Amino acid sequence: MKKLKIAIYDFTDCEGCEVKLCSIKEKLVDLVESFDIVNWRLAQDACLDGPYDAAIIEGTPVTEHEVALLKELREKSALIIALGACASIAGIPGIMNRSERKKWYDKIYGKGYKPAGIDALPLSAYIKVDHMIHGCPIDEDELVRTLEELRAGKTPCYRGYSVCFECKQAGNPCRLLNKEICFGPITQGGCKAVCVSAGSPCYGCFGYREEGNIEGLVRILRGFATPAEIRAHLTMFFNQIPEYKAAFDNALKKKVVRKVKP
Amino acid sequence: MTKKKNLVMAQANSYIAKIEGHGSLKVDFKKKKVKLIVHEGERLFEGILCGRTLEEMQWITPRICGVCPIAHNLASLAAAEAALGITVTRTTGLLRRLMQIGQNTQSHVLHAVFLALPDYIGIDNITELHKADPKKFALALSLKETGDEIAMVVAGRNVHPTRSTVGGFHKVPTRGELLTLRDMIERAVPDARALAEFFAGLDYPKLDLDLEFLLQDGMRVKSSHGEDFALADYKEYIAEEVRGESTAKFGSLKGRPIMVGSLARLFFVADAANGKTDKEGSADVAALIGKINFKNPFHNNLAQAVEMFMELKDGVEVIDELLKEGVDDKLIKADKDAPLKGIGAIEAPRGGLYNEVHIRKDGTIKYANIITPTVQNLTSIEYTATALLKEHHGKSEEELSHLLEMLVRAYDPCITCSTH
Ligand code: SF4
Ligand code: SF4
Ligand code: SF4
Repeated sequence: MKKLKIAIYDFTDCEGCEVKLCSIKEKLVDLVESFDIVNWRLAQDACLDGPYDAAIIEGTPVTEHEVALLKELREKSALIIALGACASIAGIPGIMNRSERKKWYDKIYGKGYKPAGIDALPLSAYIKVDHMIHGCPIDEDELVRTLEELRAGKTPCYRGYSVCFECKQAGNPCRLLNKEICFGPITQGGCKAVCVSAGSPCYGCFGYREEGNIEGLVRILRGFATPAEIRAHLTMFFNQIPEYKAAFDNALKKKVVRKVKP
Repeated sequence: MTKKKNLVMAQANSYIAKIEGHGSLKVDFKKKKVKLIVHEGERLFEGILCGRTLEEMQWITPRICGVCPIAHNLASLAAAEAALGITVTRTTGLLRRLMQIGQNTQSHVLHAVFLALPDYIGIDNITELHKADPKKFALALSLKETGDEIAMVVAGRNVHPTRSTVGGFHKVPTRGELLTLRDMIERAVPDARALAEFFAGLDYPKLDLDLEFLLQDGMRVKSSHGEDFALADYKEYIAEEVRGESTAKFGSLKGRPIMVGSLARLFFVADAANGKTDKEGSADVAALIGKINFKNPFHNNLAQAVEMFMELKDGVEVIDELLKEGVDDKLIKADKDAPLKGIGAIEAPRGGLYNEVHIRKDGTIKYANIITPTVQNLTSIEYTATALLKEHHGKSEEELSHLLEMLVRAYDPCITCSTH
């Protein structure tokens, strides 16, 4: 079988997802050998031009140059795969709204500074994305699974369960019962509920689950949290996903009918 | 129709490969001047933090850098706890030290071996090492695994901590987990030593110049050239300059280029030991430090390898202390008369990292300031790059360009961090 030609790119971000890619250890060699990685600035000098069978892109396109490069990569690649929350949902960089950027350029860089950045939006705001490897950071096993499916010529698929499923498997007591915010029920599984198992909340970085019941979750959350607290939790990763925010807004408009009784 | 520019190839020809983030060099070979340009998009983290809580701060700042997330987490926790008047327990202090050891190990392997080593042994990337020198490759992977495992056991995840929280830990490791971890680190120590010895035997490009180093020392910060100031005055001494064409600021010690990171830290260790063996009385560490040339920035890579060895040795001792004293999981709450302003500082893998935060009574952040190690190193990179052109005059532009890229990589710059 012919090796797939892969390009790996990173836009503005923390590169933590690529660090995860480096920590799959022996499997990395295996993968590098079974693909033709023709372009990966973080790890190699070698760089070949497209067309590519797939471009794996980490990070948020923030500068005009990055947006232009993203569009070029779309033209040159059969598949575009978003690597991590910065690329798939704009995540942490997306907390900064476009309308606020000017104010912060002035404060951080001083008046008169000519910014390079325009906005922090997910890849899908500019181009069609074929698959998203979710997470901030991604999970190694999910990454390997996706790449293996790719290698076998299949279109990668998402997990059919929520973070709650994995959370219960891990034997954690439920945060909601403890009156603590958690987005597990509406979030796609795959991370092994790593945050909840460690005592942190789930902010939903693995992305929205199609079957997720936002209204139901908000009803429970309203039993102990204010709308402002729920919105702060939501905007940790989803500030730039308008559909998601609208669904929360709708749910938050509904009256609180009962105290939480899960 | 005008032909579109090929951005893929344009970027490949200008951006420096194998560094964290996007930077390029503008070299004037005639005038022997080098300019470093940072292209990362502005990330505005100090703005992102405003309006958020301190608990959210320690969750957000690790996302400044995936290579040293734990350092950002620890600096934010320290700043938050200072603002809240919290003194954490001894267990928390020891566990955080362990996190730092894990962080340094992870980051140094990734940088010194995965990104910088290919330069010295003439391969393009680390997976080629697998063929060129499988033993060394296995060694590097197992050290990376050890760093990752320390992070996992103590911080909850190898990238971006999940167990840490303001005031302590959500969850602390069990005795059993610590015992297993101790075994693993103990096994890694000889590996780290072998790696350090290997780095000591590498051929580093020649460069000999006066470098001023900066180091955090408790509540003070000191330089190798005699500057000594209180941590609280960090902003007065560490100046940041905004330049038109770069999205990162360029730091200096009141205008003088300074170098921070492994080479700087070991300079002070060597200085303190002054010919004697190091504090644990271990001759092998002293011998390795003795091989470092503190006038050559390329030796930063050697310093990283040596420091990793020292850190892992320390790791075993930290765990022994935890096992001896027992691990308590007490979380410390905010003080009633909290100052609402705090500074947190830590020696991150690449050097001194500073976090400052001011909060309102309701606990939300109204001001945040972060100075990263790479910001401080950027000015020094240009300074030593210019010196390199002079020292290696006579070489072809191609050779010089390669040496310059190697020099940048030797600094282990985190452009991502520098553009926070
Ligand atoms: S998704 Fe998270 S870990 Fe990955 S690059 Fe973005 S901030 Fe870093
Ligand atoms: S809501 Fe959160 S804590 Fe509860 S089961 Fe789901 S993921 Fe776990
Ligand atoms: S628990 Fe939630 S926030 Fe944590 S990794 Fe999983 S999806 Fe992301």
